[in-house]
Amino acid sequence: MTVASGVGYTLIALGPGFSLFFLSIVSKPLLILTLLASTLVWLASLVALAIVWRGFLPLGSSDWICLPLLASSVALQEFLRVHFWRTFKKVESSLNGVAVRISKPPLRPSEKIEIAIALGFGHGLAHSIMFCLSLLTPAFGPGTFYLRSCPQMPFFLVISLISLGFLLIHTFSMVIFFKGYEDHNSGLRFFVPAMHAVASSLTLVNLVQNGCVIGTPLVMLCAALTLFVCGKSLWQKGD
Amino acid sequence: ALESVPDLERAMYRVIQGSPCVRLLSMQGESGCANPGRDKIVAPLQRLTKLEFKTKGAVAVLLPYSLFHSFLDKTLHDPSFAAQVAGVLVEFADNANRSVNSNPDSKFPLAEFAPYSNKTYQWNPLGTDVLQKRYNFPVYLLSPESTRGLREIAAENEARNAKYPLQVAEFDVVMQTTKSGTHTSESCLKEGSCLPLGGYSILSSFSSITSKPTLLVLAAMDSISFFRDFTPGADSPLSGLISLLVAVDALSKADGIHNATKQVVFLVCNGEAWGYLGSRRFLFELEYGGGSAFGFNMSHIDQILEIGSVGQAVENTFYGHVQDKHASASTKEIVASLKRSAESVNAQITTASSENPGIPPSSMMSFVQKSDSLTGVLLEEFDTSFKNKFYHSLFDNADNLNPESIVAASSIVARAIYQLAMGDSSAKLDSVAVNSSLVKDLISCLLTPDPGMNCPLVTGFITPAQPVPNHYVGVVTGAPSPTPSDDLLDDTTRFIWNFLADRTRRLDAGECSKDCKGQDQVCVGATGQGRGSCVVSTTRYVPAYSTRLRYKSGNWELLPVGSGDFMDSIDPVWTESFWKSLTLRVYQQERPSLNGMLLLAGCSVTVASAVSILATRALFRKRLKSA
Repeated sequence: MTVASGVGYTLIALGPGFSLFFLSIVSKPLLILTLLASTLVWLASLVALAIVWRGFLPLGSSDWICLPLLASSVALQEFLRVHFWRTFKKVESSLNGVAVRISKPPLRPSEKIEIAIALGFGHGLAHSIMFCLSLLTPAFGPGTFYLRSCPQMPFFLVISLISLGFLLIHTFSMVIFFKGYEDHNSGLRFFVPAMHAVASSLTLVNLVQNGCVIGTPLVMLCAALTLFVCGKSLWQKGD
Repeated sequence: ALESVPDLERAMYRVIQGSPCVRLLSMQGESGCANPGRDKIVAPLQRLTKLEFKTKGAVAVLLPYSLFHSFLDKTLHDPSFAAQVAGVLVEFADNANRSVNSNPDSKFPLAEFAPYSNKTYQWNPLGTDVLQKRYNFPVYLLSPESTRGLREIAAENEARNAKYPLQVAEFDVVMQTTKSGTHTSESCLKEGSCLPLGGYSILSSFSSITSKPTLLVLAAMDSISFFRDFTPGADSPLSGLISLLVAVDALSKADGIHNATKQVVFLVCNGEAWGYLGSRRFLFELEYGGGSAFGFNMSHIDQILEIGSVGQAVENTFYGHVQDKHASASTKEIVASLKRSAESVNAQITTASSENPGIPPSSMMSFVQKSDSLTGVLLEEFDTSFKNKFYHSLFDNADNLNPESIVAASSIVARAIYQLAMGDSSAKLDSVAVNSSLVKDLISCLLTPDPGMNCPLVTGFITPAQPVPNHYVGVVTGAPSPTPSDDLLDDTTRFIWNFLADRTRRLDAGECSKDCKGQDQVCVGATGQGRGSCVVSTTRYVPAYSTRLRYKSGNWELLPVGSGDFMDSIDPVWTESFWKSLTLRVYQQERPSLNGMLLLAGCSVTVASAVSILATRALFRKRLKSA
């Protein structure tokens, strides 16, 4: 669909990511490192999953195979998320230890939130890289593509929107998750894996004929909900 | 199911298999088809069932074959119609659906070369005259699978009522001569953006050639069609070639053929369809190449027998055509031998009607034009006009032939040659027997796609580069030489040389892999399945290209017209343009405004998110500070 639409799709999928990076992350080297490390870890988790699933190839053409694929993927990532929290606590205490030694203040709450955002952004970026970016390369050519099950929206648009949705969900889920631990709020801790599972399942709606018209907006709705819950949980701290 | 990004790209951009029509040039200008400029042509696909467009704007036309010739004709005479044609995709038509309006040549092919003044006589009354015209758009002949696929795609567009997103066809038939701005043979040869048409003829004899009275037996081996890669030419002229090969095979078993009174020289001419290139170049070399070029010169040619189209004779009746003022004792002798031979195989020879203006289009015209002393008879299946309804069309294939007709013609020719060579009108004709299964084998090798050139008769001599036989002469690759290397020769040429060398051999002399050392020895079957054999045989290649050209240190030079050479002065000097690639693909395209809107949407999302981030940060900072 020409270079213009190729760039357009890429910006839809990653524009908020660019904004977040250049406005919040690029100025702080710690956050850049955090982002890099997080992306690598999440990518590794997806690759590990792929290696395991490769043993089961060929998967057959039935759509039902998507259920165990999604379930295992969500389960592994949520399991990993708990370890992210634990690692974060360790890093936090060692950073605070260093701060005390050089007579600097410990990590402020806003800084802890920024680290959580960077960790979540790494997750979202890994997801974009794995499930979106390479699929967009044909979009830079002169042709477009429509799936038989989705004649209403160009394939690339569906890809970009879902990727945008998950970028937002993953980035801010990490903040919510950490908040859940900090404030001992099990509701928030439960919200994150539940949202991940629900949003992933909603992508299955796209498999149905004309499902993309419903499924894709619903994923965007999940993203909006995640943003709302994140905002609300941070706002409440002020009370 | 799509399993990878390359799969997705293949599903998006479908490469279509087909045979293109390419840009040819002559002294007068261009002909054939090509992209009009340097860029690819993209237009929505639309199937037409009558000669009018359903929409305005440029269209990539999908056309049933039955409409093809009248469509082309309309583009030549209606400029506003032609302006809407971005490109043409012609559906494949098999023999069951072959249309009669598929004869693309003019009503008197190569009329300029005729040795008589009536240039409007209709030898080819069914000709639609769309062949050597200039089209300013690309044209492709589709394969059967592509035809089915594209019909479905065109139906999709139709269902959408020409509203975006539409399936478009993208043509890349950009020619070097267009890019370099050279629009005639003269300029493109100078620029090096084209190559002249031509190839190699084959000359052969049962004995070594000396300066004796000679009977020259001719047939042509190349044809012409709208699509260079789809040129079967079965009846015209391959039926004549097959007769000649089968006659040589029969004569090789006849008594005393290697010591005949009259020398018989067989000449299979190439490039005849493009202005009698092979026969003219042969005569040129005969005249100016010195006696050593062939072992004899023009004055020794006593009689000429040409075998034209002989695959559709009705009740085995053939016609002998003679150019009027050249009727002489020698031609009468030829006709008498032909008639006697015909009787012996229950066939008939009739002299062609005196109402004809002269001989039909044939290599004989080169000889007649060259000298009044060159005289001969042309054997054809027709009298006053072509019998071949599918002359120079896609449908002139094996189904357009009657093998019995070719068997009869081969027998007549073989026995007539025997009588003329032995100089004995009472020679035992029964000793010359034609192998009718050889006729069927040659038809299946040279005129069918399967087995095609992979048939045992051919693979015994050569390893073919292309299994599907094609009879377009092509361009002259490399420097023309009497001993061209195998990579410069096409399969048909190599096969004919090997076949003739094998059948006319006088002595076997051991095995070989490339060259033979003995006098007059050639290596037959060197590139075939087994090892080659050294044989003593007089068989050689004769370059076939325009007598107005000379190859000098890597370049083709156009020579000035020789004084008194009429054929040179009217020679179009056909050349074919170079090209980088010829591709045709189909994909779906959005309406142009959508691309801009997507870019705008992406930018908006990015800007909106930046604004939100800044605003949220400011809000939370205040909030957290006040905590």
